[in-house]
Parts: sequence; structure tokens; C-alpha cells
Amino acid sequence: MTMADTTQFLSRREKIIANLAVILLAVMTLLPFLWFVIMSFKPVDQIFAGVSGLFFTPTLENYAGLVNERFVRSIWNSIVTSTVSTGLALVIGVPGAYALSRAGLKRDRTMSLLILASRMAPPVAFAIPYFLVYRTLGLLDTQLGLIIVYLTFNLALVVWLMRNFFDATPRELEEAAWIDGASLWGTFVRIVLPMSIPAVLTTGMLCFLYSWNDFFFALTLTRNSAMTAPVEVVNFMNYEGWEWGKIAAGGTLIMAPVLVFSLLMRKYLVAGMTAGAVKG
Amino acid sequence: MSGVQIESLRKSFGAVDIIRGVDIDVNEGEFVTLVGPSGCGKSTLLRMIAGLESISGGLIRIGGRVVNDLAPLHRDIAMVFQSYALYPHMTVEKNMGFSLKLQGLPKDRIAEAVGRAATVLGLENHMQRYPRQLSGGQRQRVAMGRAIVRNPQVFLFDEPLSNLDAKLRVQMRAEIKELHQRLNTTTIYVTHDQIEAMTMADKIVVLRDGMVEQIGAPLDLYDNPANLFVAGFLGSPAMNFLPATVTAAGVRAHDGTILAPLGAGLREGQSVIFGIRPEHVTLGSEGISARVGVVEPTGAETMVVLHVGDAPVTVTLHERASIRPGAEVRLTAAPGKGHIFDAATGRRL
Repeated sequence: MTMADTTQFLSRREKIIANLAVILLAVMTLLPFLWFVIMSFKPVDQIFAGVSGLFFTPTLENYAGLVNERFVRSIWNSIVTSTVSTGLALVIGVPGAYALSRAGLKRDRTMSLLILASRMAPPVAFAIPYFLVYRTLGLLDTQLGLIIVYLTFNLALVVWLMRNFFDATPRELEEAAWIDGASLWGTFVRIVLPMSIPAVLTTGMLCFLYSWNDFFFALTLTRNSAMTAPVEVVNFMNYEGWEWGKIAAGGTLIMAPVLVFSLLMRKYLVAGMTAGAVKG
Repeated sequence: MSGVQIESLRKSFGAVDIIRGVDIDVNEGEFVTLVGPSGCGKSTLLRMIAGLESISGGLIRIGGRVVNDLAPLHRDIAMVFQSYALYPHMTVEKNMGFSLKLQGLPKDRIAEAVGRAATVLGLENHMQRYPRQLSGGQRQRVAMGRAIVRNPQVFLFDEPLSNLDAKLRVQMRAEIKELHQRLNTTTIYVTHDQIEAMTMADKIVVLRDGMVEQIGAPLDLYDNPANLFVAGFLGSPAMNFLPATVTAAGVRAHDGTILAPLGAGLREGQSVIFGIRPEHVTLGSEGISARVGVVEPTGAETMVVLHVGDAPVTVTLHERASIRPGAEVRLTAAPGKGHIFDAATGRRL
């Protein structure tokens, strides 16, 4: 069944207004990014050159300035903490969400809501307890420390999103697998998980974004060795002056993998976000 | 021995009793259908046999072995679901061979068994396709293929044809019946469609509100229904019911027409329901007066819906009829074809 084109409900004038509104919103949203990316390719003296700064010879000098031990290490820290925390959150959270969805526990909705509640509180509420505990345990300024923080927040997201996904998938497939001779775990691994790939990828993407973009916890819980890229970029604003070129280049580099990743997984992201919405 | 015995089976969800003491004996190789209206518990009963629902009381034996506490995989059954339940990420071949793979059979033996089932079901040219690339009928065949490759003791079917269009349903009905005749595996088949039940089964179990109303061969149930419910449920169009009273002259309709002679078990003054199948009513110049409501020509037959007082009566005519709605006609019941039920209990007298 194909859905009727919703634009057929609009008059010609309304269509023009709607399109103009979309273009305006897109420009408003994307202009800062564009400005930021262009800035990263400008020579330092032309960054705030006003109208004359619109015409410049692109240069990679800002990017070249980033190739130093500190920034490379911060990117590596970001990659490690984001990837490991996302991976662990999926490995622990997806089976947990499946169990919550299928176990038929009393008050299981309340339990899911409580798990999500950890994400409802402002991060600052957790920062001081984490800081004090980490100082005692020697986890301050370590990759492990950041991974644990990101894991606690991402786990809640994984359980909540995946539980709703599993609730919407038909149980008959699992029952068919049981009758075919699969165990509970075998059914999960061979039937449920392969069907859930789009949803798992979407959830993983959101977790990765959360960890990758985090600034607050990385700022409070790291100093030097475990500092991540978003915090390192801010260090280019120092008492010697604000290095706008490096800030723009660093910001663009932080943004790039997320953008590339999202574009590559677009197909799965759309499928994951609409999965279970309608009967297939 | 691979029959199924169900004894005093009960199932409750909280305070609600879904299955209330069911006894059914399915012999080896028999094709039994469970029929009944929506909510009668037939699917729950099948799922209990499969091990997908827990049992609140009673016993289920498959092949002489009590299976109450066995997981589905240990019951040696195969089930075909209403929604087909094909694994969407596996090809037809992988879907059909999944159970054998779990059993740890070598690849060549799996391929041989799957190939054999595919030939039986005419699926040879679709083996590398995914379920989404198949039509409804083909999916249904794959679901059946998945069941037969395992060569189980018992096949369970849960309304497998409900999602198919009318023409395909008739075709698949014949295919399932043929398959049963070829494999001779004990089969329990749930349907709400009494035509499916009548045409396919060796034995029909009619259920209502979690209890068995009657068990028997299809034509036995059709000819000798135990009560008003079974009489009304089996047969399409359904049996006609006319309220009547027992008098010394016989069973008398409200307009005074004698519908049947006084028989054994009837006492004068008793309120009864006179039941007669549509094919056993004729239109003529004598009998009960009725007004024509609707005329439905189907080609081979003509269905005429009449009104006798407030009671609707359907007549099946095997010839083309030129009656018009609103016309006054008279009805006669074929002698010896009527059924008399107690008006209070619904039991056949």
C-alpha cells in the first residue's frame, strides 16, 4: 500500500510558503556549521576580516597546527571512550531490554522508567559524587573513568529504546524458533538479534554521539592524559590568546566522523527509527 | 504411537478460566480440527499442546508421554502459525532447514531433507528468496515446509489460511489435506471457519467458552448435532430455528402448522426449538406462511432469506428462482430431516 502524497492537501501558495519556511530553517540551522567549517580553512589573519574575508585562499595551516601530541591523544581518547562505552552499553543493554520486554514481570514498565530516570537528572547532579568517588578510587583522568560514566548514561538509553523496539516485534517468530528447537539464548542470538540490526545501529549511533560530544564530564573528570577532543579544543582559548583557526579546525575534525558515520548509516537510521511503527 | 491425549485440561489467567476441563483423544494419523467462535479457547488449547502456554491443570500426552512440563523443543511437534512466522532474515532454504541445523545434522542431509520438502510443496524455484519476496500462498507453503522437514510426531496448525484470499484458501485447503494423506502425520488444526473444519477433518471438536460441546466425524456432527450451538455453528448457511410447542398432534409452529410428528422424549406442552437445514426446506403451496426478504443467487444455487413471523429462515434452492422480495410463500420441512431441541437447555431431544 502506498501512502497518498501529503502535499496534495496544500494549495500552490501554501506549498511555496512551506518550501520557503523549510529553506529558511535549513539555512538558520546549517549556517553556523558552514561558517565554522569555512573558518577552519581561512588564514588566521582573515578570520575576522569582515566582507573582505569572504574572499580568501583556502589553507590547511590550522589543521597542520593541530598535529601535535596533545590533540592527537585527545582524539584517540575520544575514540576509545566513545567506542568502548557504546559497545559495552549495547552488549549489556540489548539482552537486558529483551529480558524486560519478554519476562512479563510485574511493574516492568515502572522498572524501565526508573532506568530511564538516570538520564532525566541534570549531569551536574552526578558530577560531584562521581568526582569524589573517582578521586578515592584513582579513576580521575583515566579512560576507564570516562567509559564508566558514559556507560551508565548510555545503558539507560539502550534499555529504554530497545525495550520499546522488542515490545513491537511479534513474538510468534520466537515461538516458531522454540518449536524448531532453539533455546532461549539461541533464539535471541539467531532470530531476535539479526532482525534488530537497524534498531541496534540506531541506538548505538545515539550512544556514540552522546559520548563523543560530551563536554561536561570530560571537563570535570579529566586533566591531561584522558582528556577528550571537545575539551582539548577549548584549551585553544588560553591566556596567550584565542586560537580561532585551531578551534574551528578542531571542531570540524570532531564533527566530521559523526557526519560521515550518520550518512553511511542513513538507511539503517531511518529503518530503525520507524521500525515497528506500522505492520509490515 | 503418536496420538495426542488431553485429559481434564484447564487453563486460567488469574480468575478467568479460559479452558475448563477439556478431554480430547486424537488417534495416530488422525486429522482433528478444533472449531469454535472467537474467544472459545481453541488457539489457547493448541498453544498448550505446543508448550507455548503453561497448563493450570490436567494432562497432555503426546505419543504416550506426558508433556505438561516439557519445553516446546522436547515435544517433537511442528507448528504452522497464522502469520506464517517466517524468519525475515533467512532465505526460504534457511527457513526450512533451521530446525535441522539446530539438531546438528550435516549439511548434505539438511539439503536433502529441505529439497524433498520443497519438491512436495513446489518451492524448488524459490529457495534463495527471502520471505518478503514471496506471495501469501508461497509463504504459507514455506511455513508448511518448515514443519514437514522435521518429520515430527504431530503437526499443529493455528488458523493457517486466515490471511489468504478466498480462492487461495480453497487451493491451500486441498494441498494441506493432500499432504496429510501423503504423510499421515497426526494433525491438530485450529480454525474458526466451519467449512475448513468440515472439508478437512477426520474428526471435529466444537468448542465454546473453553469447553467441548461435541466431538465427532464432520457429517455426524452435521446430521446429529448434540445441541443448538453445534447445530447453529456447523453448516453454511446456518440451520434455521423456529420456536414451537409440543402438542398431542405433534410439534406445532406458532401459526398452527405441524412441523414434525410427536416423537419419543417429547411431552405435551413442552417449549422446543425446531431446527431444519436450509437444503431441507422447500417452497410450495402448503406449510408455514413466510414473506420473502432477500434473494441471493450464487449461480449454482439460490439462497432465499424469508421471515416467518420474527424468525429469519434461509432456504437453499438448487434451481434458479424467480421469486421477488416481499412475496408471500409457504414453506415445508422435508419429513424426517428436522431436529428438535429443548428450548430451555438447548439439548437435542
